[in-house]
Order: sequence, then structure tokens, then C-alpha cells
Amino acid sequence: MTMKRKLALAGALMATVACQTKAPVANEVVAMPVAKLPAAPQDSGWSAASEHTAKLLPQDLVDPRLMKASTAEVRVRAVASGSEIAFRLEWTDPVVNDLPGPGRFLDGCAIQIPRVREANPPDPQMGQAAKPVDIAFWRADWQASVNGREDSIRALYPNAAVDHYPFEAKSIEPGSAVAKEMAARYAPAQAVGNRRVGPRVSPVEDMVAEGPGTLSPGPGGSRGKGERTDGGWSVMIVRKMPEGLAPRQRTQIAFAVWEGSKEETGARKMRTGWIPLSVKESK
Amino acid sequence: MARVYNWQLGREMSYWYPESRPQRQFAAVFDTNKCIACQTCTLACKTTWTSGRGQEYMLWNNVESKPYGFYPLAWDLKLLDMLDGGKWNGSRYEGQTVFESAPAGERVLGWRPESEDYAYPNCGEDDCAGQVDGGASMAMPHMNWFYYLARICNHCSYPACLASCPRGSIYKRPEDGIVLVDQGRCRGYQECVKGCPYKKVFFNPMTGTSEKCIACFPKIEQGIQPQCFVNCIGKIRMAGWISKPQDARPENPIDYLVHIKKVALPLFPQFGLEPNVYYIPPVHVPTAFTRQMFGPGVDDAIKTYRNAKNDPDLAGLLCLFGSSEMVMPRWRRQGDTVTGLDEKGNALVRVPMNEPVHVRPAYDKLYQIARTNCP
Ligand code: SF4
Ligand code: SF4
Repeated sequence: MTMKRKLALAGALMATVACQTKAPVANEVVAMPVAKLPAAPQDSGWSAASEHTAKLLPQDLVDPRLMKASTAEVRVRAVASGSEIAFRLEWTDPVVNDLPGPGRFLDGCAIQIPRVREANPPDPQMGQAAKPVDIAFWRADWQASVNGREDSIRALYPNAAVDHYPFEAKSIEPGSAVAKEMAARYAPAQAVGNRRVGPRVSPVEDMVAEGPGTLSPGPGGSRGKGERTDGGWSVMIVRKMPEGLAPRQRTQIAFAVWEGSKEETGARKMRTGWIPLSVKESK
Repeated sequence: MARVYNWQLGREMSYWYPESRPQRQFAAVFDTNKCIACQTCTLACKTTWTSGRGQEYMLWNNVESKPYGFYPLAWDLKLLDMLDGGKWNGSRYEGQTVFESAPAGERVLGWRPESEDYAYPNCGEDDCAGQVDGGASMAMPHMNWFYYLARICNHCSYPACLASCPRGSIYKRPEDGIVLVDQGRCRGYQECVKGCPYKKVFFNPMTGTSEKCIACFPKIEQGIQPQCFVNCIGKIRMAGWISKPQDARPENPIDYLVHIKKVALPLFPQFGLEPNVYYIPPVHVPTAFTRQMFGPGVDDAIKTYRNAKNDPDLAGLLCLFGSSEMVMPRWRRQGDTVTGLDEKGNALVRVPMNEPVHVRPAYDKLYQIARTNCP
């Protein structure tokens, strides 16, 4: 085979690969301006955006670490409209893990963006002191709860037998202030306002961090929706446009994916480093 | 990792944080020989603290029939296996602790119980333990003995739960050494559940946080013993404060039993946490078993306990168990009377070592009547 023919063949192969991809592949996350943000992860509106495939690495820098790589990559698209930016994260995960419990862990994903857009961004591992990162975190169990799963132990363990909760005694009026106060006594996390406590109103939680172990509730407003695809998850997260991000400007974004069936939780996750994020100019 | 001193191992060991002892350390002594497995303690705790949604399976206090009862299933066997049993050289531990044997990427050597592991809170409790004339139908490593092991959180000096939390959501109170999960800060990663070798932190799926025994701190703050202590039918428990061995004071009941008489021993000291619930070992169990569970002091402890009838101080102090709702930081014996005292030396309770005995003849000559044995 002549060199010319070899090159021609290679070119044809590349063309076939490109044809198979629904949208052009980008080496950075580029948000397409749209008139209206898609309402769901599978809306046709997402096809306008290019797809970035981000390779995931195990979090193996701080203990406890993830010692074995799991989810290989996450496919990301982004669209922007007015003061909001939306991301769609898709990854392969054949097993649904959306039931919390002892020894059970949840599927989830997150996006992380530096609070301040600057040339020297914070550490991609959860930011660093005085250089906060904003995180929007989606989890499969919260989605199930928002989708209508009952906030009860029987929804998690269908065969659970419960004799009695004191706050449901016959002498106590259901839903009354007394019943609520009594139930809170047995749910200290609820009593102190921990946002982990159900029932959820949103599948997405806003967090802020200034380094590993510092994650705390962040200024809110993010929303989202996750759906099962054939053999994986498709999750949309909408947040406010990062401060100062406009066409011809750049910031950074990082992604993380948790695979519940691999006992991934907290620091045990698959993650990326910083990836450039920009917004395309409207035509 | 820092180097810290663990007196239960007779040596220094590695720990995630430097040594920082509380002003005083909550501690307890349980006499396994007196427990009747009535589970009143379990229920006292359950109704007080864990009757909520997501707490259904939780027993902050549990009582298991050893050798085959566990909660969660095989909690101790799994870790002993991982630690290869652990090796003592006299009173010095030469094996590895859960901190020293932490694999790469972990803060602590641990394992995660699954939901099902909590579903048999005392398997083996009804096993036959006596003579079977026809012989047993199967051979087991431990044939016909058992005893009851009551367990709460050990409020360890080197808590593995605290060391394994990457968020620092678990803290040890400087005023009393009680170990608590900050319910506002916890994000339910279950690292503590994996790390605690005693499996005394529990994940609550409804609150999304981990919860554990709080040593009834609102009671302790008022000088009152926790619920599982004051409700104990067998009067097997005494709560108090433990000193470091070199600071032991004989007038402190816990110091006396643990440091001076050495009759009460820690549970699995080889794990390396310096647990603060101490057990008087069962006297009837093969010591090959109890040595593994309570360390090398078992044979001496049993000898001392068996000799209590000739040791009025020890016998007297054992009479104070379950005699008062109050924590008794001090005690004294005078003749036949044992007194539990507060810090200032005021008497909280007085207990006679021998109750007066009245013998009433079955036939009352005076009234010419036969007495029946009704109370
Ligand atoms: S027994 Fe377990 S939960 Fe309690 S302090 Fe020790 S390590 Fe923590
Ligand atoms: S209440 Fe006392 S005697 Fe009864 S099971 Fe509990 S520790 Fe044992």
C-alpha cells in the first residue's frame, strides 16, 4: 500500500468516526447560547451543543481514596441562556443505586466551578483556602424522592416491619405540632437543619468548598433532573452563570461521578481536573 | 499519623491525630457474670433515643450471647480475621492495630456491614448450653458454654470513628471524653461505620447521617448515670471516670477495678482504640476465648474476682453496682457498709454488704399455725 493510499484510508476512517458522533467533539466545554434552556436531559435542545468527553480519574490524592478506577468517562454538553448555564452529564452505569441504607451507596454526579474567575484557578481538588469553589451535586436517591418515592423506611426496605413510632401514638394528632416536635427529637440531624434530611424538594444540592473536608452548604438556586438512559444516567444541572463568564471569556469546570455499586461516597469518587469552560458567541 | 501512648497495649502506637486526653474520661465497668440478657438496657436506650424513622434497626446498646451472638453479624470475627488474631507478648501487644494496619487509601482498617448484617441482633441466643446425654449432633469450636456480652459505644480514647471521618464531623468532648457525631456537619459517608471495629456507629437512611451512643450526656452532665445503667436489672453496670494508670486513685471506683485490682478489662484492646467500657470477664468460659476478647489480663482478673469473698473491699465495691441513679466518682468501705460518694465526699448511697437474715420456722408455736411461703 502506498503512503498516499494509507493516508486516504486513515482519512476515510476518521470521517466515519466523526459521522458516528452526533455532535462535534470539543476539547473544552463550550456552552451554546439558546433561547430557552432544555427542560429535561433528553430534550432535543441539547443536540445544538457540542459534546466534550471528559476522562475520569480516581480520587487518589487524599485519604480515604478510591483505589480502583470505575466509571471511565463522562460526556458533557452545555447550553446557556441569559443568567443561567445548564450542563448535561451522561455516563455508563448499568446498575441503579438510589436506595440509601447501611452499606448502600448512591449514584451521583457533580460540577465544580471556581467562585472567582482568575488565571490561576484554585486547586481542582475541592478548591483551597480563600479560593472557594462552587459545587452543584446531584444524587439518584434525591431524584427518586423528588419523583415521588415515599419518605419512609418501607420505601427503602419493602419488608420492613415497624411496630410503633411514639410520635404516631393514637393520642397524638397526626401532623400536629406535638407530633412534629416529638419526631424531631428522634431525628437530631433534622432538628439542627442538616440538608441531608428528606424529603427532598430538589435532586441538586449547592455546596461550597475551600479544600478537602471543608464542603458546606453553599448559596443556592441550582436545579436539575436525572433520568435513566439505556445503561446509564443522563443528568441535567442548571446553575447561575459563573461571575464574569461571557463570550470570549474562559473559566474552569471539573466533574465528578459516584458509582453507588462500587461503594463510592464522599472522597471516594471518579473526578476530572480543571477543563476550560466558555460560552459561544450568539450568531 | 502521630505517635501516641496506649496503656492497654503497653506501648506507643500510630494514630491519625496527636494524643489529646479530655479533662476527664467517661468510663464504665460491666460485670458479665451478672448479666441475665433481659435486654432491659437495650429497650431503655431504644425508647429514649432510637425510636425514630431510620433508627428501626439501631441498637446503641445491645446484648449478645457469646460465642455465637453478634450485632452486626460476625462483627468481631471479621476484624480478628483481618488482624490475623493479634499477638501479645505478656502485657505488651506486638500485633498491629486497626490504625497501623490501614491499607493504602484508608485511614483505618475496617469493613462495612450490610443492611442484612443487622437483621439478626442475637443469633445463637437460644442455643443449648448444657449436657446433651446422647451427644451433640454436630461439632462446633465452642460446645456448651455461653455468656452475655452487653455492649455500648466505648467512648474510646483513640476513636476509630473519629479518625476515619474525612470531614471532622466526629468529636470527643474535652470535658468528659464522650464521642459524638455532629448532626449538623455529618454528610453520611459511612466512613465511621466502616472504621469503628465495635460497629457502634449506625447510618440513618432517613436523616442521611450517622448516629451513635451519646452516653446519655444530658444525664451525665447532671451527675446521673445513663439509661442502660440505671435500668439494668442485673445491676451489672457502673459508670464513672477513669484516670490514666499512673494517676489511678483507689477511692475512684473505676480506677480501683481497672487499674488497682485489674479485675475489669477492655474489650478487644488489640484493636488499639483504648476503649473505656471495662468488663469483668465471665469466670466459666475457656480463657483461650476470653483472652482473645479481653486481653492477657483475663486469668488474673478471674482469680481476683473469685477471691472477692475474701476481699471485703472488692466485694464491697461490687455491692455498689446498681445501687444509685447517681454517678459515684468516689467510694469507701467501713466495716460492713459501702458508701458511694460525690466529688466532695458527700454520701450518695449507703449499702450494707450483708443484708440481715431472718429465719422464720415453718410452724409458729405461739400462734399454733403453719406458715406458707407467701411473701
Ligand atoms: S466504640 Fe466505635 S463509635 Fe464508639 S468511640 Fe469507639 S470507635 Fe467511636
Ligand atoms: S439490663 Fe443489665 S442484666 Fe439485663 S441484659 Fe442489660 S446488662 Fe444484662
